[in-house]
Amino acid sequence: MDFVSGLFYAEPAYIRVFTACLRYLAPVLVAVLLFRCMKPLLTFRKEPEIWAWLCLADGRKMSVTHWENVIGRSKRSDIVVNFPTVSRSHAVLTRYDDGSWTIADADSKDGVFVNKKRVRIRALQPGDVISIGGVDMELQPISRRQEKHLAQLRTKASTIFSSFANLFLLTVFQILCAVGFLLGGGGENAVDILIGFGGIMACQWALLLFYVCIRRTSFEVETIAFFLSTMGMAVLATVDPGEALKQLIALALGVVLFLVVGWSLRDLERAKKFRYVAAIAGIGFLLITLVFGREYYGAKNWLVIGSLSIQPSELSKVCFVYVGASAMDRIMTKRNLFSFIAYSVLICGCLALMNDFGTALIFFCAFLVIAYMRSGSVGTLALACTALGFAGVVALKIAPHALRRFATWRHIWEAPLEGGYQQTRSLMCMAAGGLLGLGAGRGWMKNVFAADSDVAVATVCEEWGLILVVLIILSVIALAVFSVRSASVGRSSFYTIGACTASCIMLVQVILNALGTVDVLPLTGVTFPFLSNGGSSMLCSWGLLAFIKAADTRQNASFAVRLTKKGGAEDE
Amino acid sequence: MNRIALRAGIAFLLILVLLAGLGFFVFEYVTQADQWVVFAGSPHVYNGGNIGCGVITDRDGVLLLDLSDGRNYAQAEALRRSTVHWLGDRKGSISAPALSHYAAELTGYDILNGVYTYGKAGGTAQLTISSQAQEAALKALGSYKGTLGVYNYETGEILCAVTSPNLDPDNPPDLEKDTTGQYDGVYVNRFTQSTYIPGSIFKIVTLAAALETIPDIMQQKFVCKGVYELDNDKVTCEDKHYEQDVKMAFRNSCNCAFAQIAGQLGEETLTRYVEQFGVTQRVTFDGITTAKGNFDIKGASQYSIAWSGVGQHTDLINPCSFMTFVGAIAADGKGVTPHLVAQITSDGLTSYWGQTKNQSRIMSVATAETLQELMGFNVTDKYGSKHFPGLTVCAKTGTAEVGGGKKPNAMLAGFVADEEYPLAFIVAVEDAGYGREVCIPIIAEVLQVCKAVMDS
Repeated sequence: MDFVSGLFYAEPAYIRVFTACLRYLAPVLVAVLLFRCMKPLLTFRKEPEIWAWLCLADGRKMSVTHWENVIGRSKRSDIVVNFPTVSRSHAVLTRYDDGSWTIADADSKDGVFVNKKRVRIRALQPGDVISIGGVDMELQPISRRQEKHLAQLRTKASTIFSSFANLFLLTVFQILCAVGFLLGGGGENAVDILIGFGGIMACQWALLLFYVCIRRTSFEVETIAFFLSTMGMAVLATVDPGEALKQLIALALGVVLFLVVGWSLRDLERAKKFRYVAAIAGIGFLLITLVFGREYYGAKNWLVIGSLSIQPSELSKVCFVYVGASAMDRIMTKRNLFSFIAYSVLICGCLALMNDFGTALIFFCAFLVIAYMRSGSVGTLALACTALGFAGVVALKIAPHALRRFATWRHIWEAPLEGGYQQTRSLMCMAAGGLLGLGAGRGWMKNVFAADSDVAVATVCEEWGLILVVLIILSVIALAVFSVRSASVGRSSFYTIGACTASCIMLVQVILNALGTVDVLPLTGVTFPFLSNGGSSMLCSWGLLAFIKAADTRQNASFAVRLTKKGGAEDE
Repeated sequence: MNRIALRAGIAFLLILVLLAGLGFFVFEYVTQADQWVVFAGSPHVYNGGNIGCGVITDRDGVLLLDLSDGRNYAQAEALRRSTVHWLGDRKGSISAPALSHYAAELTGYDILNGVYTYGKAGGTAQLTISSQAQEAALKALGSYKGTLGVYNYETGEILCAVTSPNLDPDNPPDLEKDTTGQYDGVYVNRFTQSTYIPGSIFKIVTLAAALETIPDIMQQKFVCKGVYELDNDKVTCEDKHYEQDVKMAFRNSCNCAFAQIAGQLGEETLTRYVEQFGVTQRVTFDGITTAKGNFDIKGASQYSIAWSGVGQHTDLINPCSFMTFVGAIAADGKGVTPHLVAQITSDGLTSYWGQTKNQSRIMSVATAETLQELMGFNVTDKYGSKHFPGLTVCAKTGTAEVGGGKKPNAMLAGFVADEEYPLAFIVAVEDAGYGREVCIPIIAEVLQVCKAVMDS
């Protein structure tokens, strides 16, 4: 109080007025911005894309709305052929990037026949007669003209105007932030603060202009990511302004990674090939860390190259999503998950050796999500969870520093100067901030260890208020809901699994980070996506975002989804 | 794909966990943030271990401590010294539990704004103490170590409570270099945190118990030959008082007589009444909890019980607690709990009022009235009413032997019987000598100032 009130008395009236106004303006501005971004994500109309028609002998015509379609008797099938001789899941009809189709037998009882010949998998030619359980049918892919016509009938994701408006709102918020910090005692770090906020503005506008060039209009997901990054910069501006440039570079690299991963996902065949590269890279990052890594704060998860220190386990997350995602024909024909389970065990083993239990937990949750989406078997998951329980008990016995965190859990006020220090200070400062915060740069959290990463939420709450923290968390939830909603109009299970796993990883990180800071859960030292300071974490967040973007099949929404070919010419 | 799309709903499980956790936290925040923000060490509320916001004044609005911009104490050194044990020092070596207790009100905390204030920070706490009385008490105590407290036994307001040794928070002594011992125990608020051997002021307790349980106590005669033999041991007296009734024995502070009374009461009765009178109990007010006294004669010899009945043996009392007991006698057997904070205002709104808190009856009206009469007689017949012009004072002195080659502690407990000045008081002066000689002049000075304060 001494320090803060000292500031007030020394401050000219206009600064006090600005701070007083910004306290109210910031949550309102952010609420409006996030509402505008979240609304289309949460409420978009699920309009299926039509790729072909399946014509039955009786003249019925069924639309094929995905790239991967299960044909079977079951009501859950994509194309329901309710005939007693048809298996529940009989065959998988798959479309490829070049417009060709295949049919594959999904371990059915009676088999799949094309032109009266039993096949396991076969590319379809025009005029081929498919026979499933005695039901004859013919696939009629839509023509380019029809495709274009149908695309025009679909609602565009969002207008470029609203994307501009959202980004403009965000820019206003960023300018107010920067001014707030400059007036709130950040004068000596003016250059860092200006570079930090100015750099984010430059990145976001450059990305939007790039979208305009490639005729993509939807920018909600990106705007949320840039907003979260802005709050991360606001945390840095108060805790450690000197890191602003470094974090900005990480953000720019993150955007590049986002574009690269998105590009690799754009072509499903390319993406499937990328999986192997990703698998090797994912485990490679961890092995390198294990051999050359350095131990900080009890976890050997840092790789130091010159003055650069990175956490390769963060990048492994992106690779893991890649490895876990799988196309439908594979899911239906090779039902076992053994190779994937083996891979996951390998990864978690490496992390356990590094003592990095927070990250191991994230990988495990990602594994559960992938395993469930691929197998649909709750039993397998229960088994996996039990195994984790045992592993966890053993881990806690071996790693005393992890146990200590559990010891103070829900008892932080009994050891406010020892084990509960970070969290008690966090709660005190969060309470001091109230719902509206104390104002930019006026917090005390900077004196707490990891105020810009592990307990960054408290730093935001202290200076910007609890309302903003709740909004931040809701915006991550919105991304996850969007992934789930996109699933039902997804083209390939590869994208759907990828997007859902990516958003689940973000959710788990938010759960562990935010709820750990406030002692609802034990503090695990996991980063908050986009918000926490740390280059690797920032890169990982953008990489994950690419998967969410790749599942966005709204018309003209995503750069990671090919536009309908225009008059036969490829749109790249 | 339909199946996969359905399975994607697994994300909702995590969303549910997150929302539940967030909801739980927001609930905790709404219900507990006011406690978090004032928890000891909270960076926006405390500085140097003590509360760092708000303005503190005395009962008449005289500024004692302004925390709205730094830590500014009162102008006068005497006032700074005499109040430091309530306000705390700069380093937090002397704590200020009463202020910390109202930290939420003093910070002006509310859930919407947290501790944010536009310009001026915090609330104003008005204490019940009088700056004049504090300064007078400091002066009266002089170079003695000890404590003095005066409170209004009808309302509970503490008018004055001073501890010595003390220090000037604006000019603190270098305690590490001090070898004189003059600052021994300087961080302790002796009024609330210390215990003293009561000595003869404990005869009030023994007498009260006797009045409650021995019907003919006022008619009994006690013989004092300067020594009272018990268990092959001797309880000694200052003088030979010969035959006397209880009134004279109380006036004479006759150990021999009170040893006999204690013997009549016995272990069980005496213990029960000490308990009932609350003499050794903690008193809690405004976030302050006083030190616990001691009275333990369980299985003790007759000799020890005798010495306990005259306030020696292992007897210990806390000054604040004993003052409350004496206040209850003045208030006809049913006292009030003392309090320090009169009210707290913030932005023109009063967020806290100090209220009179009645205690339960500890003795009959008859017993209280007899004690009033006998304590009044002590003053008129022995200590001298001339010390207290304009006031009807009732009191009992004590001279508590502490051993260790030190002079006895001089003790005094009593009250003013006048309706306009319902004041009870306690004085404890260490290493001083006779209670009558040391304490009477001290309290005489302070009571006059208190009277003036109440008149104005």
